[in-house]
Amino acid sequence: MSVQSAKRPSKSEFKDKEKPAQIRGSNIVAAKAVADAIKSSLGPRGMDKMIQDSKGEVTITNDGATILKQMKVLHPAAKMLVELSQAQDAEAGDGTTSVVILAGAMLETSQQLLTKGFHPANISDSLLHFASKAVEVLESMAIPVDLSDNASLLKSANTSLNSKVVHEHSGMLAPMAVDAVLKIVDPAQEKNVDLKDIRIIKKLGETVEDSQLIDGIVFTQKSQGYGGPNKMEKAKIGLIQFCISPPKTDMDNTVLIRDYSAMDRVLREERQYILNITKKIKAAGCNVLLIQKSILRDAVSDLALNLLAKQKIMVIKDIEREDIEFVYKTLGCRPIASLDHFTPEALGTAELAEEIQAGSSKLVKITGVQNPGKTVSILLRGSNKQVLEEADRSLHDALCVIRCLVKKRFLIPGGGAPESELSVKLTKFAHSLKGMDAYCFRAFAESLEVIPGILAENAGLSPISTVTELRNRHAQGETHAGINVRKGSISNIIDENVLQPLLVSTSAITLAAECVRSILKIDDIVNVTRL
Amino acid sequence: MAVALNPIQIMKSDAEEERSETARLSSFIGAIAVGDLVRSTLGPRGMDKILVSMGRNEGQIEVTNDGATILRNIGVDNPAAKILVDISKTQDDEVGDGTTSVVVLASELLREAEKLVASRLHPQTIISGFRRATDVARQALTETARDNSSDQAKFRQDLIKIAKTTLSSKILSQHKDFFAELTVDAVLRLRGSANLDAIQIIKKTGGTLRDSFLDEGFILEKKIGVNQPKRIENARILIANTPMDTDKIKVFGSKISVESTAKVAELELAEKEKMKAKVQRILKHDINVFINRQLIYNYPEQLFADAGIMAIEHADFDGIERLALVTGGEITSTFDHPELVKLGKCDLVEEVMIGEDRMIRLGGVALGEACTVVLRGATSHILEEAQRSLHDALCVLTQTVKETRTVYGGGCSETLMARAVMEASSRVPGKEALAMESFARSLLAIPIIISDNAGYDSAQLVSELKAAHAEGKITSGLNMEEGTVDCMEAVGITESYQVKRQVLLSASEAAEMILRVDDIIKAAPRQRTADQGQC
Repeated sequence: MSVQSAKRPSKSEFKDKEKPAQIRGSNIVAAKAVADAIKSSLGPRGMDKMIQDSKGEVTITNDGATILKQMKVLHPAAKMLVELSQAQDAEAGDGTTSVVILAGAMLETSQQLLTKGFHPANISDSLLHFASKAVEVLESMAIPVDLSDNASLLKSANTSLNSKVVHEHSGMLAPMAVDAVLKIVDPAQEKNVDLKDIRIIKKLGETVEDSQLIDGIVFTQKSQGYGGPNKMEKAKIGLIQFCISPPKTDMDNTVLIRDYSAMDRVLREERQYILNITKKIKAAGCNVLLIQKSILRDAVSDLALNLLAKQKIMVIKDIEREDIEFVYKTLGCRPIASLDHFTPEALGTAELAEEIQAGSSKLVKITGVQNPGKTVSILLRGSNKQVLEEADRSLHDALCVIRCLVKKRFLIPGGGAPESELSVKLTKFAHSLKGMDAYCFRAFAESLEVIPGILAENAGLSPISTVTELRNRHAQGETHAGINVRKGSISNIIDENVLQPLLVSTSAITLAAECVRSILKIDDIVNVTRL
Repeated sequence: MAVALNPIQIMKSDAEEERSETARLSSFIGAIAVGDLVRSTLGPRGMDKILVSMGRNEGQIEVTNDGATILRNIGVDNPAAKILVDISKTQDDEVGDGTTSVVVLASELLREAEKLVASRLHPQTIISGFRRATDVARQALTETARDNSSDQAKFRQDLIKIAKTTLSSKILSQHKDFFAELTVDAVLRLRGSANLDAIQIIKKTGGTLRDSFLDEGFILEKKIGVNQPKRIENARILIANTPMDTDKIKVFGSKISVESTAKVAELELAEKEKMKAKVQRILKHDINVFINRQLIYNYPEQLFADAGIMAIEHADFDGIERLALVTGGEITSTFDHPELVKLGKCDLVEEVMIGEDRMIRLGGVALGEACTVVLRGATSHILEEAQRSLHDALCVLTQTVKETRTVYGGGCSETLMARAVMEASSRVPGKEALAMESFARSLLAIPIIISDNAGYDSAQLVSELKAAHAEGKITSGLNMEEGTVDCMEAVGITESYQVKRQVLLSASEAAEMILRVDDIIKAAPRQRTADQGQC
C-alpha cells in the first residue's frame, strides 16, 4: 500500500503539470489578445475601428460588443470573451469594452499568479470573493438618484455618448434618450424597461442633428398615391388585418367565364365588392387606413387603392405582423381582422398624419395621438450609412444607461474614479486577509488600475504618472477624483458631470470575474466530432 | 497448388484481428487513456474542458466538467474505450451523477489488472478476485449507509447535503448553498414522482448565476395575442392542437369553380363563418385561456379578443405537452363535446418580464409539483454548463427520494470499502487475494485523484485518511476546502447510496468485461462502389 501511494502521485504529477499549464497559458494569451484589440477604443478619447466583413460591408464603431461580434474569433477562450461583452450588452447595455478589458487584466494577473505556483482553484475562489467585495465598495460610493432628477440622468447619458463617434451631438441625443425612456415608464412602479417599446427608425440623409424624438409613430412606408390625400388633420386611424382585394377562398378557386357578358359581370362584381368594403370603411369615419401585409394574397389591390383615394382616405400598406402590437399600442386603436368589426370604436384618433420628405424617400408621421400608449419613436438621420449605424448603436447604449438607472437607482462617478477607488480600498482590505487569498486579492486590486491607465493613455496623458497621482488622491480620501480627459488633468469628476449608472460597473466586475473563473478552470481542449 | 502453399486466409482482406497479448494491451491502453482524459475533472476542485467541435459545426465550443458530456462527444475508435464511454452514458441515464467516477474507477481497475497480467496472473483469476472484492465492498457500503427518511426535517437536510456535494464539483459550486436549496425545493415539490419533465429549466443570458430563481409556476416563452387580457385569474385553460388558420377540406386537389365574383365572395364568407363557428365551439368550453400548438390567424385572434379570452399561439411541442401535464388538462383537437374535455386550471396567468424578454407565467398550476427554474449567467457556455449541473443534481435528488439511504462522500466511502476489501483479502488463500488487493488500491485512487486535482499533497492526505479509518473514525474523508482530513458528518459531504453503489458495480462490471477480451476482430469495412452516375 505504501509503495503505491508514494508511486501514484509521482506519475500523475508528471501528467498534471505540463499540458494543463500549456492549455491555460494559451487560453489566457488568446483572451488577452481580444482585450488588447479593443483597448484603444475605451474612453472619450478612444479610437474607432473600421471593420470590413466578408461581404465587403464596412462598419465603423467604437462599441466593444459590436467590434467583437464582427471579429469572428476562432480560439475557444477568445470566444468566451466575445460572449462576455454580449452578456454585458444584454445586462447593462453599456460598458461592453470595459468588461472585456477588465477580464483581460484579471487574466493577466491570474497568469502571473499561476507562474508563482498558485492553484487555479485558489485563484478562482479569491476572485469570487474579490468580486463580491468590489461590488460592496462600489455600492458604498454610489449616489442615489431620483428619476425625476432630469439633470443627473442627462449627465449619465452624456457620459455614455461621449466616447462615441456622435459625441458632438450628445447635447441633443442625451435628452432624447432620457425623454424616450421616461415616457414609457412609470418611475414609481416599474423596475425594468422594455426597450422594444422604443422604436428607432434610421433614415439616410441630412445630419445626425436633424434626428428627432417623435411623440407618436413613424412609418417608413410612404402613403399610397392615386391622388389620395397625403396629409390628414384630425385623423381617424383604422388598423386592418384583412385584405381589400378581390375575394379569394382558402381552397383553390376558378371563376368560369363562358361568354363576353359574364366577363363584364365579373369585373363589375369585383368592383362592387371592393367598393362595398371601402364604403363601410368610410362609413365608420376612418380617414387613415393602415393595412397589414398579407402573404397569401394582395393586401390591397390597385382598384381598392384607387377607390380609397377617391374617398379621401390615406392608405399605408405593408405593415408587418410583428409590428401590429407596437402600432396599436401607440395609436390606441384596435386591430381589425374582419369587416364586421370595423366600427368607430376600434379607430384611433390623432391630430395629424402626414407624409414628409426625408432625403430621397418619404415617411409617414402620425402625431398628437389621443390617449397614446407608452411607446415612443425616434427618427435618426445621418449623412452616411456608417454614421447612421453608429448613431443607432450609441443611442441604444444611452437608452440602456437610462434603463440601468430605472433598474438600480444609483449613480457613480466615471472617468476611472470607481476603479481607482476599488483598487485603493481593496488593497487596503487585502492587508486584513491571510494566506493565498490576501496575495491574490492584492494582485487583482492592482489589476483594476488598468482602466484608468488605458483611459489616460487613450487621452494622450502619461499613464504612469496619471495612475499614480490618481492612486495618491484616492488614498487621501478623494473618492471622486477621476481623469478629466477634456482638461487632461485629475479633478473631482462629479464637478465635470461625468457620471454613470452603478449597474454598469457592478455588472462589469461580476461578469468579468465569472468569465475569468470559468477560463481558469479549463485544463484541456478536446476536439470532438459533434456537439 | 500455389493457393495451398499460401497462409490460410479466413477473413476478408480488410478485416483486422488482434490476438491475446496485443488485444489485451490495446484494450488496456484505450481504457486507461479515456480514464486519464476525464480524471482531472473529478472532485470539488476538478478542472473543466473545452470541447471544440469539428466537422459540421466547426468552431462551436462547449465548456464542461461533466464526464458524460465529454465522453459522449469525443469520437473514440478503441473498442475498450467505447465500453467506458457507454458505462458513463448508462450512469448518466440511470442515476445522473457519478459519470466521471465510474470511468475513473474502471480505468484504475484496468491499470491494476494490467500489472497483475504482467505478473502472469490469469485474467479469469483476476476477474473472480474482483468479483469477490465487489461483493465485500458493496456489503461494506450498505452497512455504513444511513437512512433518515422517517424524519422529514432530517431527510431534507440530507437532500440538501447531497445536492451541495453534487454541485460542489460543478460550475455552480460557489453558489451551491443557493442552488442546493433551489433543487431540493424543486424535487420535494415532485412528491416522490420522478417526473423531471415537470421541472422546466429556462436559460437567459445576462445577470449572474446568483440571479437565478425558482418560480413556483410554469413559464411559457410565448406572447399573448394582440388586444387580449394580459392577466387572468382563476384561469380555465384549453390546450389544443388544431389549425386555426382555416379548416381546409382535406380532399386532394379540391377546387371550386364558380361563375361570378359574388359567388367567390360568398364562399369566402362561408369559410369565415366556418372559422367563427369553430371559435364558438371552442368558447363553449367555458374557458378564458386558449393555448394552441399551431398558429392562430388574425381573424380568430380577434374573435378571442372580443370574447375576452387570452389566446396563445404556437406553443411548441415540448411546451404544450408539459403544459398539459402541469395544468392537468389534455390536448384537444376536436371541440364537439365540451363536457368530455378536461380543462387545465391555474390560479393566475400573467405576462412577466425576465431579462429583456416578456414571457407568460402560469402561477398556482393544478399540478403543484410543477415549477420552473430560471437560470441567469454571463455567457451561454456558463448557462449550458449550469443547466447540466442542475440536471445532475436533480437526477441524484430524485434517486435519493426513491432510495433514501445515504453515504459519506469526499473519498470516505472509497477508503472504507478499500479497507474492507483489504481485510477480506488477507483471509483469502490463493491468487485471488492479489486481485482483491489491487481492487482496494483502485478504490483508493479516487481520493488520491480528488486531492491531486485540488492541488494538495495527495500522498500525505490519503495516508492520513487511511490512518484515520484504521483508528476507527469511519466518517473521515477529505475536506477539499481546507485541504485536511475531516469528519464528513460534520462537514456535511453526503452522497446518495444509489449513486455510489451504481459506480462500484458498473465500474467493476465494465472492467471485467474488458478483461475477458482476448481477441479483437474488426470487420472489413463495407465496400462502397464508386458512383457510376446512374440512378
